[in-house]
Amino acid sequence: MVREVSESCVDSLLTEMVTSYCNRFYANKPELAARRIEAIGYQVGHQLSERYTMERPRFSDHLEAIKFICKDFWSELFKKQIDNLKTNHRGTFVLQDNKFRWLAHMSIDPSVDNGNSVEDNSAITAENKAAQAMSMHLYFPCGIIRGALSNLGIPCAVSADISNLPACSFVVRIKA
Amino acid sequence: MIVCVAVVGHQNNPLYIQSFTEADDALKLHHIVHCSLDVVDERVNNPKKSGPMLNETFLGLLYPTDNYKVYGYLTNTKVKFILVTTDLDVRDADVRNFFRKFHTAYVDAVSNPFHVPGKKITSRIFAERVSTIVKSFGLNSAG
Amino acid sequence: MANFLAQFQTIKNTSDRLVIAVEDVSDLWPTIKTAFEERLPFKRACLNNKTRNPVFVETLPAEFILTTDSRLRSRFPQEQLLFWFREPYATIVLVTCEDLDEFKTILKPRLKLIVQNDDREWFIVFVSKAHPNNDQASKMAKKVYAKLEVDFSSKKRERCCKFDMLCPEPNFWEDLESKITECVRNTLDRRVQFYEDEIRKLSEQRLMPVWNFCNFFILKESLAFMFEMANLHEDALREYDELELCYLETVNMTGKQRDFGGVDQGDDQAALVNPGNKALTQIVQDDSFREFEFRQYLFACQSKLLFKLNRPVEVASRGYLFIISFSKSLALHESILPFCTREVWVITACLALIDATTSHYNEGLAAPEIEKEFYRLLGDLYSLARVKFMRLAYLVGYGSDIERSPVNSASLSLLPWLIEKEKLILQTTPRAKHFGIQRKPLPLEPTVLLREANRRRASLSAGNMFEMLDGRPGTIDGSGLDASPRMSPSQKVRASSMSRTNSSPGNFDSSVDRPMRLAEIYIASEHALKQTISNTELLKSLSSLEEFEQKYLELTKGAADNYHRSWWKRHGVVLDGEIAAVSFKHAHFDQAAKSYEKVCALYAAEGWQDLLAEVLPNLAECQKILNDQAGYLLSCVRLLSLDGRLFSTKEREAFQSEVVRLAHSEMKDPVPLDVSSLITFSGNPGPPLELCDGDPGTLCVTIWSGFPDDITLDSISLTLMATYNADEGIKALKSSSAIVLHPGRNTITLDLPPQKPGSYVLGVLTGQIGQLRFRSHSFSKVGPADSDDFMSYEKPAKPILKIFKPRALVDLDAAFSSALLINEHQWLGILVRPINYSLKAAILHIDTGPGLEIEDSHVIEMESYAQNEDDQAQADGAKKGSLNSEKKFECLSLKDRKIEFPDWASDIPSILWVPIRAIGDEISRSSSSAATRRQSIVDGMRTVALKLEFGVSHNQIFERTLAVHFTDPFYVMTRVTDKCHDGTLLLQVTLHSEVKATLTIYDAWLDLQDGFVHTDGGIPTSSFFPLVISPSSKAGILFSICLDKANVEEANRGLPESILNIKYGISGDRTIGAHQPALNQSIGAHSASQDLIFRSAITLQRPVLDPCLAVGFLPLPSNGLRVGQLITMKWRVERLKDLDEIEVSKHNDEVMYEVNANSESWMIAGRKRGHVSLSTKQGSRIVISILCMPLVAGYVRPPQLGLPDIDETNISCKPAGPHLVCVLPPALSSSFCIPVSS
Repeated sequence: MVREVSESCVDSLLTEMVTSYCNRFYANKPELAARRIEAIGYQVGHQLSERYTMERPRFSDHLEAIKFICKDFWSELFKKQIDNLKTNHRGTFVLQDNKFRWLAHMSIDPSVDNGNSVEDNSAITAENKAAQAMSMHLYFPCGIIRGALSNLGIPCAVSADISNLPACSFVVRIKA
Repeated sequence: MIVCVAVVGHQNNPLYIQSFTEADDALKLHHIVHCSLDVVDERVNNPKKSGPMLNETFLGLLYPTDNYKVYGYLTNTKVKFILVTTDLDVRDADVRNFFRKFHTAYVDAVSNPFHVPGKKITSRIFAERVSTIVKSFGLNSAG
Repeated sequence: MANFLAQFQTIKNTSDRLVIAVEDVSDLWPTIKTAFEERLPFKRACLNNKTRNPVFVETLPAEFILTTDSRLRSRFPQEQLLFWFREPYATIVLVTCEDLDEFKTILKPRLKLIVQNDDREWFIVFVSKAHPNNDQASKMAKKVYAKLEVDFSSKKRERCCKFDMLCPEPNFWEDLESKITECVRNTLDRRVQFYEDEIRKLSEQRLMPVWNFCNFFILKESLAFMFEMANLHEDALREYDELELCYLETVNMTGKQRDFGGVDQGDDQAALVNPGNKALTQIVQDDSFREFEFRQYLFACQSKLLFKLNRPVEVASRGYLFIISFSKSLALHESILPFCTREVWVITACLALIDATTSHYNEGLAAPEIEKEFYRLLGDLYSLARVKFMRLAYLVGYGSDIERSPVNSASLSLLPWLIEKEKLILQTTPRAKHFGIQRKPLPLEPTVLLREANRRRASLSAGNMFEMLDGRPGTIDGSGLDASPRMSPSQKVRASSMSRTNSSPGNFDSSVDRPMRLAEIYIASEHALKQTISNTELLKSLSSLEEFEQKYLELTKGAADNYHRSWWKRHGVVLDGEIAAVSFKHAHFDQAAKSYEKVCALYAAEGWQDLLAEVLPNLAECQKILNDQAGYLLSCVRLLSLDGRLFSTKEREAFQSEVVRLAHSEMKDPVPLDVSSLITFSGNPGPPLELCDGDPGTLCVTIWSGFPDDITLDSISLTLMATYNADEGIKALKSSSAIVLHPGRNTITLDLPPQKPGSYVLGVLTGQIGQLRFRSHSFSKVGPADSDDFMSYEKPAKPILKIFKPRALVDLDAAFSSALLINEHQWLGILVRPINYSLKAAILHIDTGPGLEIEDSHVIEMESYAQNEDDQAQADGAKKGSLNSEKKFECLSLKDRKIEFPDWASDIPSILWVPIRAIGDEISRSSSSAATRRQSIVDGMRTVALKLEFGVSHNQIFERTLAVHFTDPFYVMTRVTDKCHDGTLLLQVTLHSEVKATLTIYDAWLDLQDGFVHTDGGIPTSSFFPLVISPSSKAGILFSICLDKANVEEANRGLPESILNIKYGISGDRTIGAHQPALNQSIGAHSASQDLIFRSAITLQRPVLDPCLAVGFLPLPSNGLRVGQLITMKWRVERLKDLDEIEVSKHNDEVMYEVNANSESWMIAGRKRGHVSLSTKQGSRIVISILCMPLVAGYVRPPQLGLPDIDETNISCKPAGPHLVCVLPPALSSSFCIPVSS
């Protein structure tokens, strides 16, 4: 009995979570808000990986696990695979999604974002604000990836890069 | 009959262990499960041992002792399921089948947002599901 | 064919190497025998294995036997076929011959005869006795040999070789060996071929009734044996494996239950490593193979080969599996076998296998994982033996001495579900553990064996039929639940159901029901075992408790050590625990403690609390006995921090009391105890406590106690760590008094000394229970914290305390803007404005500066100060605003210059009205020029030093000095407006209002100094009084006076100066400035009628009508003044009229002058004062010139010329000197050195 939820709900849930953490719970403490959001993502990823790795043989090395994230895991989450995977073979992987679903409905127009204008650094320019808003929305997927990998026994740090939207690339650094 | 099933975390810590004997001597089943982890470790770490069934989640029979059998299952997330039975003729297919159902139940249990990963599984629903699975196991192996 | 078996075995035992026949034609053998046999055994012989692939056999043992030897003679042909492996594999024909004719005539035909039947592999060795020096002979030998080759060798096969006895050719031996090997190889191939054909024939009819395993066996084993003789062990092994397979498939499967065997004396001792244990004739009886013996025999053969192949590890692994499966089939036949044969056999089998393998195994050769595997197998064997041994021990009544540990229970009785009745019998009184822990002991009872034993006992005591019968189903159900290799489920169901019925009261009542029977069972089974066990050593180790324990230890140690060297660390550690139990019993507590610690560490590390709870008390007991207080404490704490359900409250209280007892006993070396798992703490939920800089506070902390009972902490201290500024040290909050923690949640408050600004999180909780220092560094979120750091990672530690940076908390200011009345009671308004900070119980110190005094007697008013509403609202929220809307007013009194604030004033701005009075001692003077004006303002200034102490403990202090400006109501200016002919002077008095209040003049009069009189009665016409002067406006009053000629002589009588008196009233608002003086009695009652008197002194000078001297200032040079530039100042003094006689007589024509100049701005050259002569004639004049130099640039007062001894009134200044002159800065090029002007 697999239940399903409409995408829009997930999207708005994400947005709502980000705004409430950035403005209500941890207003003007963006780094704390980020940590909390990332942590939620972590737990979600942790549990999803548990489910999506059922019925499949164990991964013999890191690359396999990463590939799993790129292919099956990503398609479970976003109905598409990661478009491009790069690695330096020394524990750093770059997963690029050319059209990251959760950024698809976000506009870079600063006027849209009244969300993350944090009082204390109101000096920052509109673009920065928008970028910050974006990055706030990216802590969740980063957390998901990290949670999934660490549940597969790969402790790592995940960061996101939105230098060229709507493409979004996640950088996974595996802790030796 | 199945005497005991257990879930063991990736740090070899017991997450869930349930014995199905009338007697209150679960302790020795704890012991059996715990010691069987040795075999799991050996299977996973020892290159020689894990031959064709390399990386398969189902680890097969762990113990050929003369009065009970221990089967193991190792998920991708390094969580181990242990099954102790006193039936001495068990078809692998049954055990695999059992473990598959068990795994599903486990995943549902840990997907509960209120479950803290790495903590004991206290969900009552999980317990019920497990006991039904165990009962059905008895029937399947008979038929 | 079975009748060959005996023969077969003897043959096998006698012949153990290949036979090479020697056909000694010309009696050479004795002479060369030794030389030949030195070559044995052959090295690196190349043979073909079963699959016809060449393999090099390192050593090939062989034996030369003369064909004339009895062993080769007289054999029946079909025997030959059957035992072909013992027939010669090669035939060497030894010949020698000196001359050709002899060869042709005699030797050759004979040889032909010998080699004619071709089924033998043969070749000829030509031996020449010729001496090398003897060319003749050797040449001849060559000739003959050549001939021999021609006749016997063919091109496809070389069958001859030549051996010179005296000097053998170097390559002869190789040649010989290769030839022999070739023969052997061929023979072998041929015979293998033969056997295989035979075997195939048999195996085709395997499933037919005619099938006879015996033939198959003999053929198969012959083949195997032949391989073995040829040192082709691999092939031999394969044969045996196939043989075993075939046996299990055919003989064992055939429905008809054959004689199992194993009933002979000594069968209880496993023979799985010595094949020669029993004669085949015993094993096979009327060609049925007894499983018991035969399978052991087969395994023995296999292991023998494996050892030869140097594969002891494989022996071990095969052996273990063999023992398991074999013990199952033993279980099947348990009823017919002697009592406990199975157990005894397994024990002996394991030990035998261990000995054999270890003796063949040499360390370090195998790959590490193989080696680990091997040790694991040994461990398994040991523990298997151990288990069986314990069962036997239990049966003979040592059960009470076996530790009822999980491992033992798990391996001894995996039938946990004893029938209630049995349970009740088999209960041994549990040894009360340390701390009085009571546990239902785990079952150790080998139930099945007990039933069996009881059955035997019954049959021994020729008891009733019931008991005779009840054993059998008992065993079946036992094997059903315990060990039945293949039993269809349905059958099993029946078995278990039978066991139910069987174990139902009735027959069971009669068997093992009544407790006293148990002892009988022991005796019976001991008796039975004595029958069974043939191994004296095993008997001995069961004979007494000591022996038993020794054996038990030996086995356990063996298992543990081997497990430790394998992958299976847990097994090893657990068994260490068992060893510990024994050494504990023998009071070797330190050993026990060591092992127990290992076990506990294992369980604790992986969080197996249930198991840990079983062992930890033992460890604790050891530590207590060893008086290892630190360890003991730690164990107690660990016990306490285990999951609550694992121990009863009583037990946990026992742990706690131990901790407390130790804590209060004096310990030799008190180590700090980590109770993080027991005592956890957290800040209160919700926002952190916020304090202003320098404020103390009380911090509320929640502490969770895992102790089962109240516990008294003599002191605790909690560290605070600053989150942001790490350099900020760690502060410790100490609780003054002892604290009693109840189980579960406690809330304690710590008073918090002032901290540095920043935000803080909780650090470590340390404290003292008696002598014992403890520490805990785990936070709890909602309940007792758990070791896993998943969540704690997720949540950054919540700050519980926030100290703001220093800021203004309150503001004090004057509540009025303008000057107050001097010398009158005035209200000094002090505006107190709290800035988001409570002034509860604040105290204001008021210190008045000089010339100001507070009316102590008078009350002090305090009123709330409502600003204009909007900023009120935003200053402090709507609530306070409304609270503010009705004005608060209160009268306070000043106690030694301190005022305590009322509560209502703590949060809202308020004004204090303090009655004060500025004392201006000198009377105000009127003036005629603006010059004197300033200083009058300066001395109107008074200061009030305010010091506000507030905050929770008056720790906050705010100091402020208010400058209050006091002034007279009026500033008076006078001038004589006009002087009439009759000498009447009109004195105009101008009144400047100095205050921001409306002044009303009711009356004014002038007390004249002497020399003046009022022209009228001195009463000014009061027609235009009251005169109202609005703030900062003027009014004037005109007085007409005149000189009074009359009394010149009484000059110094009456006032030196005349006083202007003004009776006036003031109506002003105290919030603005000057106002109606506050009198001691009620204010504002008849404020209008308050009349004040203002007095001002006016100096009138008699006007001098004709001055006698005039001083004129001569103009300065036009080109301005420069710093450092000398100029001359000139004054002209002129006599305006002759002196009267009196002066003349006094001093003649001398005038004294004096130049006053500010020494900082002027340098005067020459005399500052002196006398100049001026003739007494009218109009005589003189110029006084002074050389001087300006020192500072800017507008400075020029030097003044004064004439000291001439009354000023007699001097008229025309033209008057300038008040200020402009001095330019020095020229750049000037080389003057100028004294720096400060």
